[in-house]
Amino acid sequence: MIEMHDVWKVYPNGVEALRGIDVRIDQGEFCYVVGPSGAGKSTFIKLMYREEKPSSGVILINGVNVKRVRDWKIPYLRRKIGVVFQDYKLLPHLTAYENVAFAMEAIEAPRRKIRSRVQEVLELVGLADRMNALPSQLSGGEQQRVSIARAIVNNPGFLIADEPTGNLDPENSWDIMYLLEEINARGTTVVMATHNKEIVNTMRKRVIAIENGVIVRDEDQGEYGYED
Amino acid sequence: MKIDTMFRHAREAFKSLKRNTWMTFAAVSAVAVTLLIFGFFLVFAFNINYLSKELDQQVAIRASIVPGASADDIEQLQKQIEQNPEVKSVTFIPKAQGLQQLKAQLGEDSKILEGLEGEENPLPDTLVIVPQNPQRIEELANKVKAHNLIEQEDHGDGVTDKLLDFSSLVRNVVLVFGLGLAVLAAFLISNTIKLTIFARRREIEIMRLVGASNWFIRWPFFIEGAFIGMLGAVFPVIIVLAFYKAALNVLTDGSQYSFIKMLPMMPLSLYVAALTTFLGVLIGIWGSVISIRRFLRV
Repeated sequence: MIEMHDVWKVYPNGVEALRGIDVRIDQGEFCYVVGPSGAGKSTFIKLMYREEKPSSGVILINGVNVKRVRDWKIPYLRRKIGVVFQDYKLLPHLTAYENVAFAMEAIEAPRRKIRSRVQEVLELVGLADRMNALPSQLSGGEQQRVSIARAIVNNPGFLIADEPTGNLDPENSWDIMYLLEEINARGTTVVMATHNKEIVNTMRKRVIAIENGVIVRDEDQGEYGYED
Repeated sequence: MKIDTMFRHAREAFKSLKRNTWMTFAAVSAVAVTLLIFGFFLVFAFNINYLSKELDQQVAIRASIVPGASADDIEQLQKQIEQNPEVKSVTFIPKAQGLQQLKAQLGEDSKILEGLEGEENPLPDTLVIVPQNPQRIEELANKVKAHNLIEQEDHGDGVTDKLLDFSSLVRNVVLVFGLGLAVLAAFLISNTIKLTIFARRREIEIMRLVGASNWFIRWPFFIEGAFIGMLGAVFPVIIVLAFYKAALNVLTDGSQYSFIKMLPMMPLSLYVAALTTFLGVLIGIWGSVISIRRFLRV
């Protein structure tokens, strides 16, 4: 569960990215974060995986106050949260398999466990037959699937996606969405920032709309609500 | 930490050393130059230390006894001096023996002493007094001189003092100079590590995202730095020891009883190799710490 109470984020240059956010996302939910560019979506997302610290207010992840977590303990917090980006952030010199395994090696998982778990996750994202390909040999959609596999390989409770379909054509975008829905169905909370009107309006989920650093709308089965 | 993980870190470290061959070469060279100079100083310092200890053993007060003193008086005097806690040993050298020693020292020129044996011997009977602490010889000499059976004394006029002063000066110069060089080498190493960090910034970013612990991220860089330091120690140790071996042969003809006292090869090589490698590794790790602290927010 993610809870935010009166969260403000003011950057050193004086920009107020978030101004008093109150929100609660329960375990197992799927929700979109929408809003115009520069409205504070990215900051909102970054606060969740502790890439940014709130200037004031309280953020609780599974009841843990993120602001109070000591720097050296942040890695352990991150293990509960998978993150997916618009640009995939794969390592170009590693194969699909190695990219996913890397996330398990980094938290010092036992080798035998790595092999079976990576295999399992690559099957889930439909890339078992492409696991020896380098990112450059994969399409955008396939690369994003590898990055999702990497994000969930350590069994995080949350999957946070920042415009995961931003670089993909509609067909690949839908593949990614079905995959995220599948992951959500298995119990992982999914929070996804997006600009994709078609997806939000078709695959109806909870929609949180942010404008000027404030939540202006929060509705189940919501609509995208913008014309871009 | 798991063995697997340690192997992984070592692999990562070697990979990036290979990837940045030239920078690695530069850093290793810088360490090597630093350690070469350090190595020569080390050999020098060890020998000065050894020499001053040898000299300390030769430091003694030669006190000549007034002519005509009886054997009983001399014996009593010797016992009295021996009781002083500052005194290590007292040896009585009768004038006949003194003459023998003088003749031995003069070698072929000893002819000039012919005819001075027996009653004609101009040398006094002497007591050779070795002090516990050579630094305080002056004090002891004054005490000995105060005795009315002692005619005069000679304690080498501070040659040892000068040598001790000199060796501590050398030690300080080495320390300052060596420290400066070590800083330079550490910065060169930190530059090499910086390149590695730059080359691996994406990996580091992802490691941070998936929750790798800070130490997991740092380890490869420590290994890389330590390895550069170790590699940088190999050549200086070889060169310094080769030079020392040559010097030993030329200056002492390989004999232990020569005029110039030098430390033998064996324990010295071990000290030099161990200390130089240790310093190399230390500089290497220091270099990594500098760059990691600056460039990783871990």
